[in-house]
Amino acid sequence: MTRPYEVVYIFDSALEEAAINEKLTNFHKLTQVTEDAAPTLNHWGKRSLAYPIKKRETGYYVIANFEADPKSLPEFERAIRLDDGVLRYLVVLNDEPPTPANMTAGKSEFEEDE
Amino acid sequence: MRAKKGDPMAELRIRVVDYKDDRLLSRFLSERGKILPRRLSGVSARHQRQLSVAIKRARYLALIPYIKGYSG
Repeated sequence: MTRPYEVVYIFDSALEEAAINEKLTNFHKLTQVTEDAAPTLNHWGKRSLAYPIKKRETGYYVIANFEADPKSLPEFERAIRLDDGVLRYLVVLNDEPPTPANMTAGKSEFEEDE
Repeated sequence: MRAKKGDPMAELRIRVVDYKDDRLLSRFLSERGKILPRRLSGVSARHQRQLSVAIKRARYLALIPYIKGYSG
């Protein structure tokens, strides 16, 4: 049985994009159920952190969505934790997909009334 | 239609709060970065529950600060 997951990675922004992509492929190999079930990746790119993590002020954000067997997750998370290039990560169940951010981003009249 | 004191989440047509939407979340934070109580923000109970989890996740991911305006 598989369940939908969403993972947010924060990579060290000093890493090359190629290196990040390689790491992502390696991580996702551990959860991939079938050959053609590739994860949906969303590269946010470099973004400044709200507070420093491991003495870094910026991080490279990547969001991944995929279906995986829950049994494969401990091995997957172990691989991420061992990687020094990942400043932080978060794995969450995505069985109730949130209302996407871009739907609210355009409504600027709500942003000003603070 | 509730014109003035409606749930701001409903006005934004949000069903499930997204922890990755830091611009949305910051509307429900105090000046110091605390979660605003429902009586101030007018958020429905359902959305407030979602919001509290979303804000905590966003803090962990350094999208929003744990404490705002504090240095040293």
